Amino acid sequence: MKSSRRSILKGSAGIAAVAGAPAIARGQARRGEQNTVRAVMHGDIPTFDPIWTTANMAAYHGNMVYDVLFGIDANFNPQPQMVGRHGVSDDKLTYTFELRDGLKWSDGSAVTAADCVASLRRWGARDGAGQIMLSKTADLSAKDDKTIVLRLKERWGLVYDALSKTSTPLCFMMPKKVAETDPFQKIDTTNGVVGSGPFTLNMAETKPGTQYVYEKNPHYVPRSEPASGIAGGKVVKLDRVIFVNMPEAQTAVSALQAGEIDFYETPPIELLPQLESDRNVRISVLNSLGQVGYIRLNYLHAPFNNVKARQAVQWAVNQKDHMAATFPNPKYARACGSFFTCGTPMESDVNMEWFTKGPDLNKARQLLRESGYDGKPIVLMQATNIEYMRNSAEILAKELRSAGFNVNLVPMDWSNVVQRRSVKSPPDQGGWNIFITSGGGTATAHPINLAAHAATGDKGWFGWPENALHEQLREKWAQAETLQERQAIARQIQDNAWGYVHHLYYGQWIQPAAHRANIRNLLPVPEVIPWWNVEKA
Amino acid sequence: MTAYIVRRLLATLPVMAIVAVCVFLLLHLSPGDPAAIIAGDNATPANIDMIRKRLGLDEPLWKQFLLWVGQLARGDLGQSMFWNTPVLSLVGQRYQPTLSLALTTLCVAITLAVTLGVLAAWRVATIVDRAVMGFAVLGFSVPVFVVGYLLIYVFAIQLKWLPVQGYTPIEEGFVPWLRNLVLPSLALGLAYVALIARITRATMLDVLAEDYIRTARAKGVATRTMLLRHALKNAAVPIVTVIGIGVALLIGGVVITETVFNIPGIGRLVVDAIARRDYPIIQGVIVLFSGIYVLVNLAVDLSYTFFDPRIRY
Repeated sequence: MKSSRRSILKGSAGIAAVAGAPAIARGQARRGEQNTVRAVMHGDIPTFDPIWTTANMAAYHGNMVYDVLFGIDANFNPQPQMVGRHGVSDDKLTYTFELRDGLKWSDGSAVTAADCVASLRRWGARDGAGQIMLSKTADLSAKDDKTIVLRLKERWGLVYDALSKTSTPLCFMMPKKVAETDPFQKIDTTNGVVGSGPFTLNMAETKPGTQYVYEKNPHYVPRSEPASGIAGGKVVKLDRVIFVNMPEAQTAVSALQAGEIDFYETPPIELLPQLESDRNVRISVLNSLGQVGYIRLNYLHAPFNNVKARQAVQWAVNQKDHMAATFPNPKYARACGSFFTCGTPMESDVNMEWFTKGPDLNKARQLLRESGYDGKPIVLMQATNIEYMRNSAEILAKELRSAGFNVNLVPMDWSNVVQRRSVKSPPDQGGWNIFITSGGGTATAHPINLAAHAATGDKGWFGWPENALHEQLREKWAQAETLQERQAIARQIQDNAWGYVHHLYYGQWIQPAAHRANIRNLLPVPEVIPWWNVEKA
Repeated sequence: MTAYIVRRLLATLPVMAIVAVCVFLLLHLSPGDPAAIIAGDNATPANIDMIRKRLGLDEPLWKQFLLWVGQLARGDLGQSMFWNTPVLSLVGQRYQPTLSLALTTLCVAITLAVTLGVLAAWRVATIVDRAVMGFAVLGFSVPVFVVGYLLIYVFAIQLKWLPVQGYTPIEEGFVPWLRNLVLPSLALGLAYVALIARITRATMLDVLAEDYIRTARAKGVATRTMLLRHALKNAAVPIVTVIGIGVALLIGGVVITETVFNIPGIGRLVVDAIARRDYPIIQGVIVLFSGIYVLVNLAVDLSYTFFDPRIRY
């Protein structure tokens, strides 16, 4: 075939057009979404009812479409949010909250005190701190359309803490008709979600399990202060935020680099260097308190019904090894010997010899002998589908074997761990001795908010530790009125908790987020990611 | 023919019944507690028990089974425990991506595989034949997700020719729809190509050794006509059989491919449901897929009459 100059030029132009077409087409597709952020979060939204479940993703949804009476600011101090004026009586028993002017639900109707009273009751039926608050409540009612009155039977210094916390479930306000739903039934969202938050949920474009589309709420009235934590002015600067469910980490990282998504909450630590080298991607730490890893021991059965056996584990664990296994970059992980999260006001260094001088396997072996351990295998459940839990279980098994325990490491997925940890039968009859989990740094810093901090025996959280003094000190902490008092009591709690070994930690880590360079003004808040204030250049 | 079709359709009922029993028992007897997952990690045991009761998960197994079978008999696949949405509705939202992926994969795979198989048989024992067979071995050996990530790296990240992930409904444009399916179809189709190419080659070799092919050659029939009209049509029955059996491979591969390429199809729906122990979705989709598989094989059997007029039902 003869080729002419003309045909060569035509062919080259054609090749250039074909090569360029995909980029042009991609540009055209994205032009319509200039002010839309596509965000891949750590999981899927399991339900649109953030009171019914403690799953964090439900709280992320709640934070978009609902608002709170109080929210914590960047310094973790409770600040009024939906509330305008508020006060507490001299005897510290009566709290009065007056709603701000102009608050509306997304259907245009006014937010009333009656809505908030119903919402408080529903939340209080499900939340640990809320349950305590309501158990101390003599009366909770709407004085008028805008005023809520909470009258306590006895003083309780954690009202503002409980109402403003970011550990789940948050105290979201809902319309009265919705909030009157049985707390153990999910709210009906068949006809949409009505909230008073800065965004609304576009049900038509939302596909459960795939994507959740949030749009600016035209009825929302932000506060005038600058945004701080989940308090302050929630000014929405984006048109839409789309939560994309993308469980595959490598796909999400590739999509971020290709510009197909704008934000990825939990990039694997080992892939961070790949993202850090991309000039279009930024890495940000939004939750400086991160996560705290727990080792829960089963108090109901031998050997951990014996304090010496628990202390043996305490002296065997090396947090640095646990952290290095999953978080090789020391920038993002640390060992922490405090009972309450390191880097928080309740952190202390009391009764930490096991941490400052440990690990000490000889001491661990000695304690184990003193406990009378009979060599029976202990069941250590290993959640294989969550990397840090899988790695820590392996390391813990090795540490315990070195200390003289006979360890039966049982691999299973996290769903199985969740099911089996509720079993109170002996370990060799379907029960367990140890499981590994983690909790938010904010929740772990608070003696009341975290269910795992309770020591109420078999009425408490899995592991069922029991210690009367611990519970007395928690109650005393809740009654304390100043930071100094609370810190002093926290030290006593730690002293006692490390003595009887309430549970153990295997480290504290931070999970940085990754986002495109043109995403700005993300707010650093623990446990939730706010999307107001954020801009896309 | 009608009677045959009716008989075959009736025969699917016991198959579906067995699948229903097996999937129900496997799920409910396996460890995992959807109530605990729904409640979240901070929930107390009392809260979890309450949720379990509300979902009916504390009822005896036989009662839960009968309830589910009763729903199934009415064509109701149940409701997702997490989203309170009917399973059929969720499947309805997700079927298009899965169907699109399956059809494009089939088109790509069959076209490529049959071509390669015919080529290999025509040029048996040459470098062409060895290359095709080597490719077939590779296709079978390399896992779908590895192929997927390699394709993403080359075509999406480095060359920027195609998107990394996602799905565009066909209503939003044919080209965008197709662009999102190119890489997943190639990744998923590779093993399928390998399987069909080998069978095509083997059956073509048998047919090419027949007397009528020698006669056709002797009569001066063009090579293309000889291969496609005389040989391939007679080799079609085993090829079509393998395509039908390979649909099971396709269904399994769709699950992985949809996860790697973030395609919001039925495969992803099931994977997410398994992680959460959303029993109604898992049960409903598996029963549905088993029904589809049976129907596909019926279609394959009926297609024999097209390729071989001697076959009558």
